[in-house]
Formats: sequence, structure tokens, C-alpha cells
Amino acid sequence: MSRSQFFPVALALCALGSSSLEAAPPAVGERHLDFTLADISTNKPASLSDFRGKKVLLIQFASW
Amino acid sequence: MPVWHDATKQWVKDGKLVLLGVTQEQHPERCRLFAQWKQFEWPILRDPINVLQSMSVPIIVALDEHGIVRSIRANPKTFEADFLNKSFADDATNKLERLTPNYPPKFDALKADAEKTKSAAAWRQYGDALALWGEEKQLPFAIAAYREAAKAKPDDGAAWFRLGVCLRRRSETQAREADDFRAAVETWGTALELDPNQYIWRRRIQQYGPRLDKPYPFYDWVAEAEAAIRKRGETPVVLPVRPDGAEIAQPTKAFAVQKDVPKNPDPLGKITRDKSSVSCEVAVVPAVVKPGQSARIHLTFRLAPTTTDHWNNEAESLRVWIDPPDGIVTSQQLVEAEKQKVATSKEGRTVGFEIQVPKDVSGAIRIPVYALYHTCDDAQGQCRFLRLDVTVQFMVK
Repeated sequence: MSRSQFFPVALALCALGSSSLEAAPPAVGERHLDFTLADISTNKPASLSDFRGKKVLLIQFASW
Repeated sequence: MPVWHDATKQWVKDGKLVLLGVTQEQHPERCRLFAQWKQFEWPILRDPINVLQSMSVPIIVALDEHGIVRSIRANPKTFEADFLNKSFADDATNKLERLTPNYPPKFDALKADAEKTKSAAAWRQYGDALALWGEEKQLPFAIAAYREAAKAKPDDGAAWFRLGVCLRRRSETQAREADDFRAAVETWGTALELDPNQYIWRRRIQQYGPRLDKPYPFYDWVAEAEAAIRKRGETPVVLPVRPDGAEIAQPTKAFAVQKDVPKNPDPLGKITRDKSSVSCEVAVVPAVVKPGQSARIHLTFRLAPTTTDHWNNEAESLRVWIDPPDGIVTSQQLVEAEKQKVATSKEGRTVGFEIQVPKDVSGAIRIPVYALYHTCDDAQGQCRFLRLDVTVQFMVK
């Protein structure tokens, strides 16, 4: 499903307080998609948007 | 990551930069141990199901104060001049959208929507919420949701991958169902067939796969990290699921075969067969083997939940004899489970070995194996030496 085809479903889910997107790789000059995940140490939720107003280096990695 | 950790320490201390990590692995405690070892002090979030849909790692993205991407694969040497000391306008044209379910998740509403729309997206969304935020007892619901998503849209690779993650997670709990691990490997294989360029999915199979297919040893650093942490006077993060076997095996460029030919411990099959106290789960990684390819066989032996038996660790360890059909090469013919330090125990025991299939073979392969082990009955105190016959089956195509 292309991203544009997906929007009606995404909008419907937004009404439930949720959304879903087919993610394209982040592109320079675009606003990064927000996400909320649990912190591995505290298990508390954190969102990318919590850091709005600060410069962020987002590092996706694995320990292997 | 250590390069960026070191390069950015002062900027983080000065409040000029925030480092935010996202770990793309199944077991977050392993990443916690890694972070403790490397003394990472920045927040790290867990994404076991790859909800961020990353194709590989590492991915390093610099975001300005408006959340706009300013560089991907930034260069640590030019980072300060090109990014940190610059001011950026809020000039992105796209709106802020979410990639993950909202927190706190509304499980009931997501489920109701999935049942109403029957769409793969809605089922996946419900599965994501459960997989990311649900309790262990909710894993069956996440598994069911992803199964519905994959049924509604069989080419939804992400649904297949996430289904595999939840199956594997359940296989590591007391609520496991028979063949959860085998099913996880199978679903990861389905996902990877749909998108062979998805390296997060590929790594999940390779983590448990044969040495010939490994890009690196995955978790061989764990013992070194624990020793270094203890040397600093700290207590290492405890790993509930300790990596072993395939997860710490070194990659190889040639299929290695044990040189010494061991003796078949029960060639005439005289040892008493175990009919009820122990069962064996078999997982072949990858689930479908290509001609000429190698695979790793995982055999997990578990005491039946209803039995009053325990392993007798004072006797010799559980051993597995492998009797491969003509043409199939095995890394070993006799494999022994790790010796336990305590006299009795009841844990599951996994042994592994690798096989190589000839280039001209295809179709169903059956490898007879048997295990020999010592158990004792808790109630009666009776100890027994038993044999369990198992057939390893997989398809070559």
C-alpha cells in the first residue's frame, strides 16, 4: 500500500487516538515522524517530540 | 556508537545536543548491558518490532530544534560546524505525523476498530500497541492480531516479522506454546522473502542461524562486558535470556566438521525410551534451506509441566546423537548440553548443531537424532537414565 493510499485509514485510526503510517526513510529537510517507545532503563515512555526545541542526534543501533 | 558517544560528550554536557538512541533488537536488557559497559548516559528506547521500519542499523540522523532532519549519516568531524553551530528555520513542508500508536494505548478501541474494519493496518496497529506496551500475558493477543494482519494482507512483511518477534518472545516465557520458536523462524523467513533487502529482519534470522551465514558473532561481547563492569566495582545488568549457542557463535567461511569421530552411545537402542517426562522442540534456522546451504538445528528439551522429575546434574550431561542421512553433513555427531553447577534443576536445555545440504538435494529431509539424559523423580527419589528419539525435519528448496 502506498503512503497516499494509506492516509484514509490513518485518519480513521487518529480518531481512536492512534495512527499508523508506512514510513519512508527520513529525508533531509523533512520533519521527522514522531514516535513513542519505552526507555530500556526506566521502561517509561518517551517521544521524539519530547525533545522539541533541542538539537537531537537520533541514533538507531543494536548492541551486536 | 562509541565514536559518537565520545565525540558528543562535551556538547551534551553543555546542553547543546541531546543524544537519543533507539535499539533495534529483541532483548532490551542486552542493550542495557552494552550501554552500561560503554557508559552511555543518554536515553535509549526499545523498538523490538522495528516499528520505525528501519532497513538496517546504524542510522544516525541529526534533527534541528524543530524536529527537522538536517543530516543523515553525519560526519563527526564536521558535525559542529555543519549542524551544531548553525541556526535553522522551521521550513519543513510536511506535517508532524506519528509512526507509533499513541501512549497510553487504547487496546479495546484498537481491537474494536480492527474487528470492524478487518483491515491489515488496523490489526497491525492493535498488534503494535500490544507488542510495545502490553504485558507478557497479552502476547497471545498480539500474536493473534498480527496473524489477522498477515491473513488480511499476506504481503505485509512487517506483520509477519512482528508476528515472529512475539512468537519468539513467548517462547522465552513460561506461557510458551509448543513450536513457538520454530513458528517464529518460519514467519521471519516469510517476511524476508517479501523484502530480501530488509536487514533488520535478516539479522533476526542470522542471530539464530548457522555460522556460514553470520555477518558477526552478535553477542560474544557479553562475558567481556560483564567482566569489565565488575572490574569497575559495578553490578552488571542481569540478562533474563542469556545469549548462548548460535547467538555467540563466531562466523566462519567454511563448514566446520568435528574431526574426532565419536562413538554412538546407544547403537542398538537398548536404553529405555522416555514416554512422558521430557519433550523436545525442534527449530531449524533458516526454516527452509536452499540446496548447498547450511542450517542450524536447535533442540530444546523440557521436562513436562505435569512431571515431578528434575534433571540429575550429578550424572553426565544430556547428550544428543545425530545420525544424518547420506549426503547431509553435520558439524558434530555427538553434542553435549552445558554442564550445570547445581545438583538438580528443571530448566529447558538447548543444544545445537549445524548441517550442510548438498547442492543437488531438494525436498523433505529427515534427520534421526536421539537424546540421553538422567532424571530423578522428586516424589519417589527414583533416578533414571532415558532415551528420547526425535526426528528433525525440514524442506530443501
